Amino acid sequence: MIFVNKKILVIILVAITNLHSQTLKDQFSYANELFNEGKYFDAITEFKRLQFFDSENQFSFQSNILIGKSYKAGAKFDDAIKYFTLAEISSRNDEEYFNSNILKARTNILRRTNHQAERILNELLVDTKFKSKENEIKYWLGWNLIFLDEWKKASKIFLENNLDTTLSNLCISVDDKMYSVNFAKYSSYVIPGFGQFYTGEYVSGLLSLSWNVFAGYLTVNSFIEDRVFDGIITANFLWMRFYSGNTQNAEKFALQKNLEISNKALNYLQFQFKGEKP
Amino acid sequence: MSNKIFFLLVVILFPIYGQQIDIHSPKNIKKFADFLFCDKDYLRAIDEYKKYLQVVEDDTANYKIALGYSLINDQSNALQEFSSINNSSALYEQSRIEVLKSLSLSKSDSAFYLLANNLINSKSQFSNNAQRLLNTSILLNENELPDKNKFLIPFESDDKLLLGNYYDLKINPPYKSETVAGILSAIIPGSGKIYTEDYGDGITAFLLTGLFTYLAYTNFENDHQTRGWIFIALGAGFYTGNVYGSVASAQIFNAKVNFNFENGLKLFLEDKNYFTPAYDFCK
Repeated sequence: MIFVNKKILVIILVAITNLHSQTLKDQFSYANELFNEGKYFDAITEFKRLQFFDSENQFSFQSNILIGKSYKAGAKFDDAIKYFTLAEISSRNDEEYFNSNILKARTNILRRTNHQAERILNELLVDTKFKSKENEIKYWLGWNLIFLDEWKKASKIFLENNLDTTLSNLCISVDDKMYSVNFAKYSSYVIPGFGQFYTGEYVSGLLSLSWNVFAGYLTVNSFIEDRVFDGIITANFLWMRFYSGNTQNAEKFALQKNLEISNKALNYLQFQFKGEKP
Repeated sequence: MSNKIFFLLVVILFPIYGQQIDIHSPKNIKKFADFLFCDKDYLRAIDEYKKYLQVVEDDTANYKIALGYSLINDQSNALQEFSSINNSSALYEQSRIEVLKSLSLSKSDSAFYLLANNLINSKSQFSNNAQRLLNTSILLNENELPDKNKFLIPFESDDKLLLGNYYDLKINPPYKSETVAGILSAIIPGSGKIYTEDYGDGITAFLLTGLFTYLAYTNFENDHQTRGWIFIALGAGFYTGNVYGSVASAQIFNAKVNFNFENGLKLFLEDKNYFTPAYDFCK
């Protein structure tokens, strides 16, 4: 009788525990459904509820990943990274560890903490456990370079092992369109206004050239007429002002144009590129 | 194992597990809400407390909803929720001072002064807190201040020293006159900026205006008309810019005085949590 009672007791306990486990599974399914429907605020609430009652941390990894993804979808990158880190801590195998780190790197790319993303990806790259995932890691390293505005380096990475030729071609075309900031700046040192002409700002270039010719003439004229002090002051306060302004202006135009080019490319990547994005 | 022990175990264990299973029971909703509240996830905590209140009457949950709104700076909802706390509730007194804080933050001046005076006259346990908040708000928002000694009475000694300094700053703010700055710079270029404690700009304006005036004079004297006019134009540009800049500098100086005063008092209020009580909800 005692033996039978013990058995019944164990059966009851196991049944109740399974019931509890089933409740948590149902809760996970419900939260997941909300996540799939794009109801991220509610999904986070339900995943947090699941975590609160999941005393044995059965769903710790999945719930942390999905909370992180929900925050990421809502552009709450700091919170997303916090939950991806928690997922990394609760990962039970190499695959989960790898996935949580990749998500962390991708969020860092979007958050523009690119050096953090680079560090995470490089750590995964040197880890022999993830040798088979080299292509995936390099793919995100390429994206990180895009967000660092290093289009040429990004194109090289995408070309390696034919990772993504579409992205590689896009990066090359963006890099070709880019203006050389140094050329714009230093060419304006040689011929004032040249950098502005190079970036297509013809009116500004012409004005720069005119002001420099005028101030230069006044300076030279002062020295010719033995008005040395006048010459020094004119050179210092007029000519140098226009001369240095001209080089700074040329540099500014090149940077501005490059920003427009890279923003246009990023806009294309965000809305029209079909492949995987950070 | 006897039958008695067996049944006892089943009777004890079943409700325990049963409770854990229903994670949407009112009790578990409240537990979860408390967790979210202490995790500073106030928006979700509010939603959960509201769910809980649909089935259970609990003025602490009601109070936490109001407090949650206040902490996420949604003062309009905070006021509504704090006002719904019944005067028979143990948290009623606290709710009044919280309402005062919300009124202060939502800039509802007339309602704020009315409630502050009511609280002070009601001799509640938070009368002194209300008096402190009222006095600090007067210092922040009003031009006419009460007598300094009377003003400082409700505060503790450390605060008295700090608020005494702010009181003096309010009575005699160290403003610089825009007119004086402009006139000074018109007479001696740069002196207006020196008056507004912008020493570097003042000296530069003085030297450059002087230099261009001298160069214009000497060029005209030696019949170099073109350069003379160029230096006149440069000198005049610097001179006008220096007068205009001195007036702007005085305006900036005064704006800084106001900013430092207001910011300092706001930081003081935040540090004191608007003289609201401390809670042990998350211990």
